[in-house]
Amino acid sequence: MTTLEITDLHVKVKAEPTHPEILRGVNLVVHTGEIHALMGPNGNGKSTLAETIMGNPAYEVTQGDIRIDGQSLLDMPVDARARLGLFLGMQYPAEIAGVTNAEFIRAAINARRADDDQVPIMQFLKELDATMATLEMPEDMADRYLNQGFSGGEKKRNEILQLMMIKPHFALLDEIDSGLDIDALRIVSKGVNSLRGPEFGSLIITHYQRLLDYIVPDFVHVMKDGEIIETGGADLAKELEKTGYEHLKGGVGNA
Amino acid sequence: MPNPMPNTPKIALRRYLANAKDVARTPVTVTADPAVTVSTNVAAPQPTDALEDWLVGGDSAVTTVTIPAHYTGQAVVLTGAAYAGGIVHVIVEAGATVALEERWRTSGEHLGIWVVLDVAADATVNWLTYDAMTSTTALVKRTANLAAHATLNWTTAGFTQASGATLIAANLIGTGAKATVNVGVLAAGKQHVGYVTAMTNDGRQTVGHINQRGVITGHAHLIFNGIGHIIHGARGSDNQQENRVLMLSPHARGDANPILLIDENDVTAGHAASVTRVDERQLYYLMSRGLREDTAKRLVIRGFLEAGLAEITDPALKAELFQTIDETLVNADA
Ligand SMILES: Nc1ncnc2c1ncn2[C@@H]1O[C@H](COP(=O)(O)OP(=O)(O)OP(=O)(O)O)[C@@H](O)[C@H]1O
Ligand SMILES: [Mg+2]
Repeated sequence: MTTLEITDLHVKVKAEPTHPEILRGVNLVVHTGEIHALMGPNGNGKSTLAETIMGNPAYEVTQGDIRIDGQSLLDMPVDARARLGLFLGMQYPAEIAGVTNAEFIRAAINARRADDDQVPIMQFLKELDATMATLEMPEDMADRYLNQGFSGGEKKRNEILQLMMIKPHFALLDEIDSGLDIDALRIVSKGVNSLRGPEFGSLIITHYQRLLDYIVPDFVHVMKDGEIIETGGADLAKELEKTGYEHLKGGVGNA
Repeated sequence: MPNPMPNTPKIALRRYLANAKDVARTPVTVTADPAVTVSTNVAAPQPTDALEDWLVGGDSAVTTVTIPAHYTGQAVVLTGAAYAGGIVHVIVEAGATVALEERWRTSGEHLGIWVVLDVAADATVNWLTYDAMTSTTALVKRTANLAAHATLNWTTAGFTQASGATLIAANLIGTGAKATVNVGVLAAGKQHVGYVTAMTNDGRQTVGHINQRGVITGHAHLIFNGIGHIIHGARGSDNQQENRVLMLSPHARGDANPILLIDENDVTAGHAASVTRVDERQLYYLMSRGLREDTAKRLVIRGFLEAGLAEITDPALKAELFQTIDETLVNADA
């Protein structure tokens, strides 16, 4: 078992040092084997939390810590954190022309392996084909340039393809359901569920219960004003679907 | 009356022309089918501007290569001499289909290279020029003239260590002629590199596209001029160009200048240009999957150049280009 532990995390946007903190003391523990859902109103720090855990240089930790099995990640650049087992399925994945999807995923896998133990190309292609088939992605998506001209839904599916190929310890999935049609939602959920097991944990950011019908979480957290204000089981999400967030306590209020 | 200076915006051509051109008695080596005729010691083409005057001046070997009508044989490979530039005139006769490769790994002081390609009606040419000169300066002129319904797919890999200027011109003379010119350039150190890439639609229903990509590091300066010209009477023609420069160091300087001259109404034309730095969001995305910073940078840079070099399918040449890119970047980081 591996543990991701966030303690008293305070975060600012580096480019706006005079603005107030976006995260104001977040505490969260995710063990492998668990699925956590993170919900909450727009603009209250969910993506900021995911990006900060991953190591996006746009954010600055002003207090607190992020640890994996006791080791602090704060001084590690994003690529080192990734190799340690973190994965972030982004709300807005970047497009990169001239680099094919397959070439990129292979480079990502090889970055985790020793120079004299790179993944054999045939083995890689076989696994890529099988994973793309699971996600019902057309074969030519492997040779297309990374996210270039992909539709919103295709980009999300491509994030899950990378997730399944890389097999991290912890997947932070930021609105992986946005832009997905009903069939795609089911397919993508199937992909995430296939990873469930004692060596895989996930923090799933979503606004919709629908996703959590497919990927049933062990814990549901609500974030408001940069703090986790409520934690419960899968039922909490169902309740919020009916009641909304208004009645929950919060800090200064949702500006 | 002396010949005029060619139009080379922002490029100090006059300064380069003041240098004495290297003596170039050794002609290019030509590898081709027996059906292809090669003659050396022929007369140089008639110069029409000050650059061409310089290129024919002094001692310059002149080679003529004729690819016969309806040729469908193997690729024709022109290899520049180890220490000399030169003048080459390639004639592709009607209906021929040929892959033409030109490679210059030439060293020296002040190189001059002049290549003229005449493509007759209905002929198709895939032209690959690989410039890997190591001279101090190089002045290069390449002109392609296309007759009716001729097609030219042209890729230039500009990987020289020389400073200087390269003038590329595709003239779409006959009705329905089509040309694509892809240019991929890498400049490093203290190099000053200028490209003037011109596409002229003269015939009706002609289609010409320019696509230039350049990556610069160190203190290098790269200038991309794209000149699209649609001549009066070239009805139904299309002229498009894209010029993009990626700067990798704070001291690198890039210019991308599209110039469109349109003297006809019934045409389509467009241009795009940009000078940018490496996109931090792209790097972050790649690195978030575990790629180390240098690998991520290489992927972004290769990807950027790919648009200029996509037509290069020879795996050995592609590997050489990628290796040059990687070495240049490693040196730039050192
Ligand atoms: N890089 C940034 N630069 C400036 N402001 C930022 C940046 N990142 C986040 N913020 C601000 O921080 C606040 C929280 O944003 P965040 O993206 O974390 O919200 P969220 O909870 O993910 O919202 P949503 O549900 O709409 O995705 C917002 O007010 C946002 O504008
Ligand atoms: Mg968000």
